[in-house]
Amino acid sequence: MPLAVESRKVKATAEGQMPRRRLLAWLSSVGLFGSAVLAVISDLVFFKPRVTYSPSARFGIGKPDDFPPGTRIAREVDRVCIVRDGNRMAAISTTCTHLGCIVSISDTGFACPCHGSHYDQDGTVTGGPAPKPLPWFKVSLAPNGELEVDKNSQIEPGTYFTV
Amino acid sequence: MNTPTTKETSLRTAVREFPSNVWSSIFRHPLPSNDLERSQTSFTNFFLHLHPVKVHRNTLRPIYTMGLGLMSLFLFLILVVTGILLMFYYVPSTTQAYDRMLDLRGTVAFGLFLRNMHRWSAHGMVALVFLHMCRVFFTGAYKKPREFNWVLGVVLLLVTLFLSFTGYLLPWDQLAFWAITVGTSIAGYAPLVGGQIKFLLLGDTTVGQEALLRFYVLHVAVLPAVMVLLVAVHFWRIRKDGGLSRPETASAKADAGVVQIRIEPGKRTFGLQGFVRGPFTKIGNVPDDTVYSWPHLLVAELFVFVLTVSVILLVSLAFHAPLEQPVNVMHPPNPAKAPWYFLGLQEMVSYSAFWGGIGVPTVMVVLLFLTPYIDRGQKGVGRWFARERLLANTIFLSLVILNVIFIIIGTFFRGPNWTFVSPF
Repeated sequence: MPLAVESRKVKATAEGQMPRRRLLAWLSSVGLFGSAVLAVISDLVFFKPRVTYSPSARFGIGKPDDFPPGTRIAREVDRVCIVRDGNRMAAISTTCTHLGCIVSISDTGFACPCHGSHYDQDGTVTGGPAPKPLPWFKVSLAPNGELEVDKNSQIEPGTYFTV
Repeated sequence: MNTPTTKETSLRTAVREFPSNVWSSIFRHPLPSNDLERSQTSFTNFFLHLHPVKVHRNTLRPIYTMGLGLMSLFLFLILVVTGILLMFYYVPSTTQAYDRMLDLRGTVAFGLFLRNMHRWSAHGMVALVFLHMCRVFFTGAYKKPREFNWVLGVVLLLVTLFLSFTGYLLPWDQLAFWAITVGTSIAGYAPLVGGQIKFLLLGDTTVGQEALLRFYVLHVAVLPAVMVLLVAVHFWRIRKDGGLSRPETASAKADAGVVQIRIEPGKRTFGLQGFVRGPFTKIGNVPDDTVYSWPHLLVAELFVFVLTVSVILLVSLAFHAPLEQPVNVMHPPNPAKAPWYFLGLQEMVSYSAFWGGIGVPTVMVVLLFLTPYIDRGQKGVGRWFARERLLANTIFLSLVILNVIFIIIGTFFRGPNWTFVSPF
């Protein structure tokens, strides 16, 4: 009880000073909280590598003549399937869009061993849990005459590169 | 021993009392022979002061708690010890990890046995933490004032699952590689930040050395630290929330002639600390149904400990921890199956990656977190399958059974390409 009276007295006499004190307390809380947030953000930045050690997403696959018309070859290391149809060429991903397993070439197109997704020759989903068609990657001709696949640039399925 | 003496201790006395005064400087009290000393055991011993001085007789009933939480703790301790030993021979490198597994099997003394113990304890811990949660639910033990300890328990279940997930990736066999591939792909389905989370987990765009190193650090440092901290808080809160929930007994009702003292739930403390600090003293006024932790609680704990260790030792002698073929990044095993406790999840994922891997699990976890704040009735606490809690228990039991059914389908009824096969 005496304590309460006393504190009320303090409040009354020091009416002008209290807001400043409260403001300083408020500002320092914001500062501390802000530093904590900054620390968390910098941790996230730390955890995101700027350089990765995996093989380049752009790689050469050989000269166009290496792929006679009608070819469908899965390059397992690069996880792409090289398709040549007449003089049109394409690179279709062989990573299942469901959960990242490797699809194999089947009679009707592609099939995934993990959860049973099926795709047709163009990578369109024909069955199973896969939510999206297999992406197509950009194929280009490098100055040295080799074909180059860039897994960083996806293109509209059905867009062929003419050699 | 404690006689105050004015004269200097002679060298002869010092020699004569030598070993015993060292002993008494470490253990301030001899083995207890009366109630005061029995309470002092819990007070003055660092390792025992986690215990209350006295516990309610009903919390010691084996049929009530079944010792499930304690078994989980002991399995965790076995996992820490065997895990640290395994770290002496393990290298988190994609080129070496699998060879080290073969070394553990072939050249390291007790290597195979330690790995068996580690793996089977991990499986056991997942199962027992889950069963412990079921026990707490079916006895209504998460009701006020224990709501937050339930929330901590749910977090501990998630940490246990994540520890076991990061653990079976480390041998870098086929299971490991394709489990990371599938697991991080599921994370990639999370809305908005999915791709970012996947990249942070893998430390790269593809599954490889960076991913192995990240999961290794999570498994041996980050997650165990989180686990130890949360387990400590979980235990501390048991006492601060008034001890374990317990079945009522008829004898707890006061005799007619005895003055009843109001005891607020959650503030009830036992023993000297309560006498000093708590506002309510109950000495001689309320019929006492408590027993000393030494020896009653300690003997019960010792029994559970011996039981847990013996079972793990026997299982590790009889069965070897699984190790699949070395990683082949071209060919996933067909079917690629996770350990049994994730097969329910894998079964759901095979219907829809988003709903099975993110949507439904998130809803389930949120429901678990909110359980004590939704189901707030105070009836039926401390009894298995209390009639007053029929609705809550039915809902929970159905979800548990559903999960078990999914696990059984995933384990026995799924063949190559995840097609339906009959095991019979």
